[in-house]
Order: sequence, then structure tokens, then C-alpha cells
Amino acid sequence: MIETAETSKERVISIRNLEMSYGSKPILQGIDLDVYEGQIIGYIGPNGAGKSTTVKIMLGLVEGYQGEVRIFGRDIADGDIEYKRRIGYVPEVAELYDSLTAQEYLGFVGELYGLTQRKADHKARRLMTKFGLEEVYFDRISSFSKGMRQKVLLISSLLHNPDILFLDEPLSGLDANSVMIVKEILAALAAEGKTIFYSSHIMDVVEKISSRILLLNGGQIVADGSFEELREQSHERSLEQIFNDLTGFHEYKDVAASFVSIVQEV
Amino acid sequence: MGTIKWLRMLDPLRNVFEKFGVDYPVMRKILEIKLLMDGRRAPTLLQKSSKNADPATMSNQFIKSLWIYIVLSLVLVPLVAMKMNFMFQMSLVFGILMFMITTSMISDFSSVLLDVRDRNILFSKPVQRKAINMAKLLHVAIYLLLLTGSLTVLPLLVGLYRHGILFFLLFIVEIILMDVFIVVLTAALYWLVLRFFDGEKLKDIINYVQIGLTIAMTVGYQFISRLFNLMDVKVAFTAKWWELFIFPTWFASSFEWLLGEGGNMYVIIFSVLSVVGPLAALWIYSLLMPSFERNLQKLATHQARGKMNRLRLADRLSVLFCRGNIERLFFRFSWDMMGRERDFKLKVYPQLGFSLIFPFIFMFNILRSNSGFAAMREGRGYLFVYFCAMMIPTIVLMLRFSGSSKGAWIYQTIPLRDSAPIYKGAVKAMIARLFGPVFVFQAVVFLFIFGARIIPDLVVILLSVLLYTVISFMVLDKELPFSRPFQNTQSGSTFVFLGLMILLGVFAGAHLGFTFLAYGKYLWMLLLLVFNFIAWKLAFRKGSLNHLTYD
Repeated sequence: MIETAETSKERVISIRNLEMSYGSKPILQGIDLDVYEGQIIGYIGPNGAGKSTTVKIMLGLVEGYQGEVRIFGRDIADGDIEYKRRIGYVPEVAELYDSLTAQEYLGFVGELYGLTQRKADHKARRLMTKFGLEEVYFDRISSFSKGMRQKVLLISSLLHNPDILFLDEPLSGLDANSVMIVKEILAALAAEGKTIFYSSHIMDVVEKISSRILLLNGGQIVADGSFEELREQSHERSLEQIFNDLTGFHEYKDVAASFVSIVQEV
Repeated sequence: MGTIKWLRMLDPLRNVFEKFGVDYPVMRKILEIKLLMDGRRAPTLLQKSSKNADPATMSNQFIKSLWIYIVLSLVLVPLVAMKMNFMFQMSLVFGILMFMITTSMISDFSSVLLDVRDRNILFSKPVQRKAINMAKLLHVAIYLLLLTGSLTVLPLLVGLYRHGILFFLLFIVEIILMDVFIVVLTAALYWLVLRFFDGEKLKDIINYVQIGLTIAMTVGYQFISRLFNLMDVKVAFTAKWWELFIFPTWFASSFEWLLGEGGNMYVIIFSVLSVVGPLAALWIYSLLMPSFERNLQKLATHQARGKMNRLRLADRLSVLFCRGNIERLFFRFSWDMMGRERDFKLKVYPQLGFSLIFPFIFMFNILRSNSGFAAMREGRGYLFVYFCAMMIPTIVLMLRFSGSSKGAWIYQTIPLRDSAPIYKGAVKAMIARLFGPVFVFQAVVFLFIFGARIIPDLVVILLSVLLYTVISFMVLDKELPFSRPFQNTQSGSTFVFLGLMILLGVFAGAHLGFTFLAYGKYLWMLLLLVFNFIAWKLAFRKGSLNHLTYD
């Protein structure tokens, strides 16, 4: 599998027997995972499979898990938060302090990552310009459209040139041209040796940009490999079909048919 | 960024913070950003004036609102100034202080304490928890300092002048202890609510506190004058065991003990509690902090499923009051929106509070000046019920606002030829949901006071208010219900409002006039019925209201 091919590269994330539950509800039931530098990992699974929870545990946002999580070789539970300096994060919901202007927000985040204020400002401004947002750099984020907010979030996750990127639906709200740009950016970053952890519900995109796909279902990894490998194993043509197959969901045609029949009774 | 210059005052303390293991530059940065965001928030008390404020002048709204607290603190001045019984007067002072500070903490500062964005934005960065918590603590401290400072500066000075330096110093110490106690109490309240309910419930509770604060502040003014009369009253205070649970007495006890008539056992116990209580609370709070943080995660989630209730009141009322399905539909829609939307409640419910209280305030004034209760019962004091209709023009106007006004695109997309039923349903729902309960309450209380003889008068009042509502609707600008954002509540209809207030006076006057005729009120009742019939037909006649755009 992937691991053997990649052993020459540095192992950046290593998860052993990760378990997590909210109250009595189990979320993660024993995740084992090794991630190497330069990989773009498509992290997919149905709602509630535990995708966000895994990412949040790695970022230290969620506590109370069992098992071991190592990032850059260090156990993240050891209390040293320095590893976060090499991580960029785009959360699922576009959460930011939107009463601030883009300049203020990006400057703030940059400084939290240890950049000087001038450097953060300079860099943020040029990145905003590349996304065509130079005009609104001094405007409040609350006036931004969904796509503009998403771009600000992407920039805020990249300002400090991180080695690992956690992206949760990073393309939501972006127009087709911006999607092209971001996809290119991700590919280029991976080529530079950065690791990208990408979770999304849009299978076409995941299929195209991922070098390795992880499918999570019911708190367990049920598939792990490149798209070609998964296709060979399951004899399906698209990632969408593989997804349906592995999550045991076959009746989509029946559901659709009965849905339409309900629509048609007036 | 250096946008907030006075934060430099903290810089000399840098070493102290670093000794505690706090990353000072990061903490200062977080604090600065938080204060910057505060400046762009409008506090509850200033909502009306800040509506049209552009971003630049919005900054430091909170600082500007502080003068209101200085004015409010005038209530405390006579209480501090009188030389009667320290236990009594200082209990009142601390009672009022605690109420004001707690409510404004909850209403204006909850969004800060409970900012769930902090988790994703700050915790994912290489920032020590200590720095984040310290920034939060300082943030609350600065806010409390400003708030408490403006509330107590006058009372402190008066105390210094009347009772001397010892009183002044003791007052300061007790105020600080009280602040600590309040912070912990507020946090404990959040903790309790979050433990058993979810974020939605907490937001509801905060919403009601905001409404309560707005009402209390306004009604508070009414009682300032009355408080001065208390100065003649002689109060003999004897501490009792159950006063242990009335926190303000704790803080007042030290004054009685050290400066007043000395202490009996209770007074001394209370005095000790005023020191031990806050410190113990702080200790317990530090123990609960991790659990509080964990529960905060629930804020973002909504777990409690809505109940499905089959036979809803709104459904029955809509059948009772409305004809036609569209009208009924918008009756139910408006009913739900008025009950659900927090922004709407915050703006409108205080109006209801005033309507509920004003008739009684006027009646008490009569009671004080006149010969007494028996004489008042014979009179026409029930006409004060008209005061509760003062809210009608405002809520007719408010009906168009909503925190989620963008949802109004739905009006444009539905195949509806005539929008009159939309308005009609909404106005009826407004009467039933907002005016109805207020009127029923007033009617019951006034019936109790004046007896069954006023039943016909209450009917007349109700009919007048219905007519008044429809006239208000006709003269005010018409906009689809819940289709405008709250930002532009200011409108140029001040003169229309003035006219409507006079009209309400005319209604009350007409009522008064007809009571002097034999069977006059029955005649007026009949006329009102006819007027109502015509006015409602006229206001909502087919095609009279075009489909208005909502942009």
C-alpha cells in the first residue's frame, strides 16, 4: 500500500488506536493512520462519520480522546503547543471575527502564528490581491460574500507557510475560476512537500486532487489508498460509487423514486 | 496594531504577567482585538440611538453608554446620603448595584464571554491557554471597572462627604468584593444553564434578561422621585437568619458593624461572609472552569428537538379571527415569527412592558393625590387602560423588521395576486399575540379594582384599540411583515407618531364624554362597531396594497 512507497519520506502524522465519544455516543472507534509529507489526503465519509472530530483532535480543539496522536514525531498531549505553528486550518463553518476588517483579522492571525505585524500585513495584502480582493482589504468581513470569506480563511491558514494544512470543505462558496486557482495552489503546495488533509463531500474534486483517499464510516477507516487502488478493489468506476458501495448505501435509486412520487402528489 | 493606545498602561505589568507564565505580547494582542470588536458592538441601552451610526462613529459605543449609568446612579445618592440605618440603606444600595451590574453583564457581555468562535480561531493557533484565559479575564475586568466605576463614582463621592474617609474606603472594598461575586455568579448561571440545556436555551435566557433590563431601567426612572420619600421613613433593622440568602445584606453588614451601631451576631456573620463568600466563590469557579469550557462547546450545537404540538393555540385563533386561507396562513406565520425571533422580542417586548406598567403608574399617582382607594373606585380611573394602547403604533411599525429579513424573498416568489391578506393576517396576529395578553391582564386587574360595572367600558376600550390599530396601519408606511433589517428602524414618521398619540387621547376623551350621557357608552360602542367594520374593510380592500418590493 501507500506506506511502503512513501517510507523514504518523513512521517508527519501518526495516529494509533484513536477513540473518542461524546457522552455515551461513540464517534471514533479505533483509527490507525500514518501520513507522509507531500500527500494530499482526501478525507471523506458520510455526515457524522467522525471526520471533523479527527481533525479537531489533531488541532487540540477537542480533548478527552483515547489513543495516541503524534504530529512531527511528538505526542500532542505532551502540553507543548509549538506544533501548531506548522499547521494551517480552515474550519468547516466560515467562522471568523467578522466585525474586523480583512486587514485586522489577517494581521491578528498572522501575529498569533508569530509573524511580525508588518510582515503579516504585507503578505496578507499581496495574497488578497492575488485572489482579486485588494479592494476590500480594509472592509469589514461582515460585508463579505461567502466566497470572499472562504478566501480570507484560506489566506489566514497559509500566512505562516505551514507544513500541514487541514482544510474542511475549502472550496465551498467559491466560483469555478477560484476553484481552479485553489486546486492549483494545493497541488503546488503538495509538490513542495506540504501535507494537505482535505475533507469534502464533493467526490469529483476529491477524486481529482487527492493522492490518497481515506474513507471514514462509523468512526472507522473503511478504505485507504489512491483512487486507482480503491477502484481496483471495489470494481466501481467513480469515487461516488465507491463511496456508496463502502458505506453500504445502495438504495439511492429507490429513495429518489419514492421522493419524486411524494413530490408529485399535490 | 496600536489602535487602542491606552492598553499601554498594562505594559509596566508585563513582568508580573510573565511571572505567571503568560505570553504577554500574545495576550495583549488578543485583548486588543477583543476590545476593537467591542467597539463595534452596540450595547442594549443604546440600541435606539446607534441604529444609523456608520462604522466609524460606532466605535466605543460602550464608553458612550457609560453616562447613562452615571445618570442611573443618581438613584443611589439619596440612599447613601441619608443617615438612618446603615444596614438598611446600604442593603438597598448593594441590591440595586448588584441588579444593574448583573443584568448589564448578562445583556451586553454574554456575547463576549460565550464567543464560540474563540475555540476554532484561537485554540487552533500556537497560543497558550493561559494567555487566552488571562486575556478573557482582563477583558471582563476592564468592562466591570468601567461599568462599576460609572455607577459608583457619585455615590462614593457623596459617601465621602457625608460619612467620611473610612466609609469611602470600606465602600470601595465592598464594591470590589461584590464585583468578584457577580462575575462568579454570572458564570455559575451560564454553567448551570449549559449543563442542563443547550445554547439555544441560554440565548433565550440572555434575551429575556436584556428585555428585563430595558424595562427595569425605564421604570426605574419613574421611581426615583418616590425614593426620596423614603428618607422620612424610620426603619428599624433587625437581622434575621433568612437574610443570609439575600446577598446585598452581606455587603451592607460591614458598614453597620464598623460604622453603625455595632454588630449583633448576624451582622458579624454577614460581614465575614461578604469577604469569604466572593473568595470561596472564586475558588469554586476555578475548580469548575474546565467543565465550563467543555460545556461551552454545546453552545454551537442544538440538541433538544422541537416538540410537535398538534392543537396549537395559533391554529385555533387563526380560524377564529381570520377568514380565508391566506390570511390564516399569515396569521400563523406572524404569530410564530413574533414568538421566535430574539431580535424582534428584544425590540418589541420592552414596549409591552411599558404598556403593562404605565396604567398602574398613573393610577398610583391619582391614589396618592386623591382621597383614597374607595374614592378612586367610584371614579373613572379605568380610562387609564387606554395607556396600554400607546404601544400600538410602534409595534405596527416594528412588524416589518426582522433579524432574518433576507428570507423575505419568499414573498416575491409565491403566486399571490393580492397582498392584503398578508397584512391583515399579520396585523391580527400582532393584536392577538402582543396586545392581547397585555389587555387581558389589565382588564382583570381593573375589574378587580373597579368591579363588574366597567365591563361595558372595557368592551369600548377594546373596540377603540382595534379601530386605533387599523388607523395606525393606514397612516403609517406599509412594508411587508418581517421584510426589513433592523439597521434602519429610524424612519421619518415622528409627526405621524405624534398625531397618533393625540388620536389615542381623542379616543379616551370621547369615551369619557360618552360616559356622561345616559346609555352613552352603549351608543359609542355601537358607533365603534360600525367604524371598525368600515375601517377594516377599507384598509384591507382587495388590491389596495400592491406587492411591495423588499429589496
